[in-house]
Amino acid sequence: MVRIKNRYIAVQIVPQTATRTLRLNDNTLTKCLLENVGKHYGVYGLGLLEQGFRVKYCNERTKIAIIRCLHRGQQYVSSILPLITLIGDVRAKFRTLYVGATIIQCNKFIIKHQKEFLDKMMGQLESAKERQDLLKSVMDFDMDR
Amino acid sequence: MSDYHYFDVQLKLRDPESVVLTPAYFRGCILNSLESFFGDIGGQTTVDIVKFSVQQRRVIFRVPEDFYERTRVATTLIGHYQEVPCHFQVLESSKSLLDFDKELGEVVSKNQSD
Repeated sequence: MVRIKNRYIAVQIVPQTATRTLRLNDNTLTKCLLENVGKHYGVYGLGLLEQGFRVKYCNERTKIAIIRCLHRGQQYVSSILPLITLIGDVRAKFRTLYVGATIIQCNKFIIKHQKEFLDKMMGQLESAKERQDLLKSVMDFDMDR
Repeated sequence: MSDYHYFDVQLKLRDPESVVLTPAYFRGCILNSLESFFGDIGGQTTVDIVKFSVQQRRVIFRVPEDFYERTRVATTLIGHYQEVPCHFQVLESSKSLLDFDKELGEVVSKNQSD
């Protein structure tokens, strides 16, 4: 029995024009990534990558996503991320934050990253209600979505 | 040591009369196939036509050594030439320069006996 090795890539989506939320979901992100892999690595790259490929998590507010792929297909994803300029119909780019072997390590990193983000955003808000709403939407880890 | 790998390829067409066989079209066909299978990053290489025979529909071309495997795959998987169903039979491939001097039957029977 051979263990299947996965890699989890945490990425941040940086839109060209500053927006509060992105009109993005897992499906558009998956489609965009696979399209680009197909363009740059052809049918061969696509075939190698498609097994085990999935966008596990996508947060609109913090613009962070986790992509899962097989260990051997990791370079195909990480090498095309800087080349993408259009995600769905939004002009944006990817910033690779972290590459981990387990989703827990990725989660840990993102929580640390989000705490920093929260600290920054909290300073900009005035009412307590707004602060609570923000806290809720950021900490809402819906992994099966 | 040469840095190139040579291919001796014969084009087998279903309908040989309806196609225009020129070195440029042939080269385009191979490059297209390479690009569709290996994409913009993995499929860009230089293909040089060394010898070309329209009568025999036989071509000798070379690619850089690193691209030998990929070119072999792409050449084998070509299914259409100018929208006519076809296949490319790789008669011989070698690191040294190939020539047409061997008769076609000789090469085929040698390949089959290997």
